[in-house]
Amino acid sequence: MGFPHKPHPKETVVLSQYFGDPEARTHKGWVKRGGYEALAQALKMEPAAVTDVVKESGLRGRGGAGFPTGLKWSFMPKEKKRPHYLCVNADESEPGTFKDREIMRWTPHALLEGTAIAAHAIQAEVAYIYIRGEFTEPWAIMEQALAEANAARVFGKIAIHLHRGAGAYICGEETALMNSIEGKRGNPRIKPPFPAAAGLFGLPTTINNVETLAAVPPILTRGAAWYKAMSLSNPKSTGTKLFSVCGHVQRPGNYEVTMGFPLKDLVYELSGGMRAGRTLKACIPGGSSVPILNREETERTLLDYEGCVAAGTMLGSGGVIVFDDSTDMVYQIMRLARFYAHESCAQCTQCREGTAWTTKILERILAGQGKTKDLDLLLDLSENMTGKTICVLSDSCAAPVVSGIQKFKNEFEDYIAGRRKPMLVA
Amino acid sequence: MADSMITLTIDGVPVSVPPGTLVIEAAKQAGVLVPHYCYHPGLPVAGVCRMCLVEIEKAPKLQIACATQVTEGMVVKTQTAPAKDARQGVLELLLINHPLDCPICDQAGECELQDFVFQEGRSGTRYAEYAKRFNPVEDFGPDVLYVPNRCILCTRCVRFMEDVAQEPVLNVSERGDRAFIGVHPEARLDHPWAGNVVDLCPVGSLLSKDFLHKARAWELDKTASICTGCSQGCSITLDTRDEVVVRVRPRPNLEVNRYFICDHGRMNYRWMNRGDRVEAPLVRRDGELQATDWDEAFARVLGILRGASGKAVALVSAGASLEALSLAKRLLSTFEWTGAFQVVMGEEAPLAGVPNLALRAERAPNAKGAEQLGYTRDYAAAVAAAKSAAVVLVLDDPDCAVQTHGALIYAGTVLGPDAPCRAAEVVLPIANVAEEEGTFVNRDGRAQRYFQAKPAPGMARPAAWVLGELAAALGVAEVA
Amino acid sequence: MTVTEEYRPVFAGKVQDELRQILTRYPTKQAALLPALWLVQRERGWISDRNMTEVAEALGVTPAYVKGVVTFYTMYHQHPVGRHFVQVCTTSPCNICGAEEVVKALLQQTGANDPGATSPDGAWTIVEVECLGACGFATPILINDDFIENVTPEKVPDLVRKYR
Repeated sequence: MGFPHKPHPKETVVLSQYFGDPEARTHKGWVKRGGYEALAQALKMEPAAVTDVVKESGLRGRGGAGFPTGLKWSFMPKEKKRPHYLCVNADESEPGTFKDREIMRWTPHALLEGTAIAAHAIQAEVAYIYIRGEFTEPWAIMEQALAEANAARVFGKIAIHLHRGAGAYICGEETALMNSIEGKRGNPRIKPPFPAAAGLFGLPTTINNVETLAAVPPILTRGAAWYKAMSLSNPKSTGTKLFSVCGHVQRPGNYEVTMGFPLKDLVYELSGGMRAGRTLKACIPGGSSVPILNREETERTLLDYEGCVAAGTMLGSGGVIVFDDSTDMVYQIMRLARFYAHESCAQCTQCREGTAWTTKILERILAGQGKTKDLDLLLDLSENMTGKTICVLSDSCAAPVVSGIQKFKNEFEDYIAGRRKPMLVA
Repeated sequence: MADSMITLTIDGVPVSVPPGTLVIEAAKQAGVLVPHYCYHPGLPVAGVCRMCLVEIEKAPKLQIACATQVTEGMVVKTQTAPAKDARQGVLELLLINHPLDCPICDQAGECELQDFVFQEGRSGTRYAEYAKRFNPVEDFGPDVLYVPNRCILCTRCVRFMEDVAQEPVLNVSERGDRAFIGVHPEARLDHPWAGNVVDLCPVGSLLSKDFLHKARAWELDKTASICTGCSQGCSITLDTRDEVVVRVRPRPNLEVNRYFICDHGRMNYRWMNRGDRVEAPLVRRDGELQATDWDEAFARVLGILRGASGKAVALVSAGASLEALSLAKRLLSTFEWTGAFQVVMGEEAPLAGVPNLALRAERAPNAKGAEQLGYTRDYAAAVAAAKSAAVVLVLDDPDCAVQTHGALIYAGTVLGPDAPCRAAEVVLPIANVAEEEGTFVNRDGRAQRYFQAKPAPGMARPAAWVLGELAAALGVAEVA
Repeated sequence: MTVTEEYRPVFAGKVQDELRQILTRYPTKQAALLPALWLVQRERGWISDRNMTEVAEALGVTPAYVKGVVTFYTMYHQHPVGRHFVQVCTTSPCNICGAEEVVKALLQQTGANDPGATSPDGAWTIVEVECLGACGFATPILINDDFIENVTPEKVPDLVRKYR
């Protein structure tokens, strides 16, 4: 539903059905709404059979990478010789994204149930839910829900623990998340080894996003075919997705639509369109780490993995940031670069120095001291920061810079040529 | 078995290596040095500097050679445009905050940043922001200074302390471009092997206080030697400038000390340069020791040896070369011989992450060699026996408090004005370990050679030469 | 703190029990580091070098190691902060919805004046933070553990009054 607004008829409500319904947070309330039936069903199935159902459904990771979930589960050792782990990525820090927070706030048991089913499918006896430190309300709600579910003994021999983060976007990267749970600095690891071979504490591990796992119970109770059938454009993108719409729209919020839904309708209809007297200038559909779309591109993009790639961007986390014509694109791109510079873990040279240098160049342009060759420098720097590091934070900083310069070059040139009033931002 | 080797091509050169070999190591066999910073064969792989990016056929992105294992038929190219651009990019980024300190930085001339920038870097900077990150120099501990501005965050030092020394007193603090190497105020970098971080640092960020501003790298002559600090027998390099030893560094030796030496060995070299040496042979004339030449000194010694019989006692240093110790024994072969040595003992300090490597309790390099030649540790008994011996030979043991009714011959590097051995008939000046070539046998029975780094002062000569000449004159030089 | 003051351990009594409970959740002691640091911050308001040594001893790691972890995660305070620690998101999605004006209003209303500084009465510290994960509820702020959505400059005076 378009929480916190009234549900829009064009939404396909599955995960968000009980957003805003306080009773759904309780164990009793959740059971009343059909909860924990999927888990009971799964626990009677062979782990591999559960994985097959999820594979068949076409569910893909909703954290940003879009990797087929069933396939990821199947990478775990079939024969269990050592302990297996499941990590749930509730570190939601991608700018523009605020869906996992809502799932935890309103349907904590959906997440717990999905977690337990996944743990069973990968033969893990311990699952850690890594919740970012700033999510104090979701933490409290999850703690309460976990206590109630444990008291009702719904998880069998699966132990679920909550682990609190402490302020680091990079801990949303799956290997950094594991390091953080192990009590280390949140540094991403070089791969190989891959988590399914050597992950948490060196043991076979799967990491899944909150939204991904919340989708698992309905897939089990309503069937893989039902989930697979929900696809408006490309059959490789199935099911529903919560899109977090924010920025310059009348009704920001989380909207749940079927994969392949037109971005144009999401922005202009479901989210209430632009503010009075304003037009759409730019839109980032997948959280700040994906290329920016201009208006024309926004209006023809279909919201699934392939559709976004075809439009020159990525679906990512589905955090839809809308910029209207009042936006200073140069300033916002600088602010995004500053975000990445602040969050860089410091391991790789390109990221550690490149994000900071990118920010400095953009600040200099805003201060009226930029030169035309600075744009070439930014593009060169961005290329240097792409595809050469342990994780993709470096690439993520480059994405808005490159797409911003390509599509809003005039705004940069206005600052460089002195046509726009400079501002000191450092 | 032949089929357990893996064949691959690096820059067109085919190489065969065991499975599990890293591309960066395989490249060495092809004669290719892949530029790198954070990688070090003695440390766990980090893969953070991104300097060793190479092109590998069939891989969609550039790969880091330090973390990629070889596969059969792999084709590696290090000199293609994308690989070189990537490395040039890393260098440019390292230089935006790295200060232009070369004129005042100790590392100049042996700096890996200088080397690779010269080889593959840009000719000018594009960093127009001018203000560089600045942090003041920090004193980490007994010998180590940290210059944060020059640090390239390769984390070799952190990994050494954590994994090899197994005492994690260094950390990476903060995040992003604010990151630096940190310590905790309640702990100093005083581990007995901590000095290795200075060698490991590819740039001039971690510096030795002992070596600070002492000499320029290109002024140094480097000589292979063996450390005399204890019986471990680590391979070292003696760095000399104008024939003065100014620095000791480890030499790679996979069998003994891998890539490391302890601080005790590292810091104990000043005695090699001491000025108060015996510089001429001395003979007793008119009741006092007077300087003379080698001919007269030899004549005096031979006269003593030919004219005496009965017991002879040799009190030797466990730091004398194997050759000298052997010849000293042979010289006294016509006598009833007792030979003994004593060794200063200290506390053992292992390097936890390397098997069989420690600062040993025995603080001398050749005790094992002396034992193998028949010298005993029963020093007190030998000193007692010396009283009634006909000839006593003291070899490089300046504090030896021996008294004898017989003839005392002293061969050593120094002889203080109040030393008991001033009572000697003859004083023969010898070279120290830095001034001669010789052999030590370490505690594991490994015979290792050391070489001459500087000339001996005055007329001093290697003990092996001195004793060899004497033995030849007596006709006992050759083994029967 | 004067030199003669004795150090009062954090992990004593009930807090010690809490730590023991936390340790049962992980196969290694080191994994309890982040939760242990949260306990220290909850009890003392911030994490001092001496606290880090205590945590290190409790978990079998070195103080330098703990410090490396503390300085990585921005939510751990390494020095005392105001009674009300306010985090305001100013990353782009909130930025284009007026987040910077919210920061200005808070700084002015609380008397803290500069981001990161504590107000003269010791009551307030305001900092700008990165994305708080509530972009559709711009501008979200945290006052200590209270997550408050949809803050605007107009709402700031009442908010500050409420917490005074």
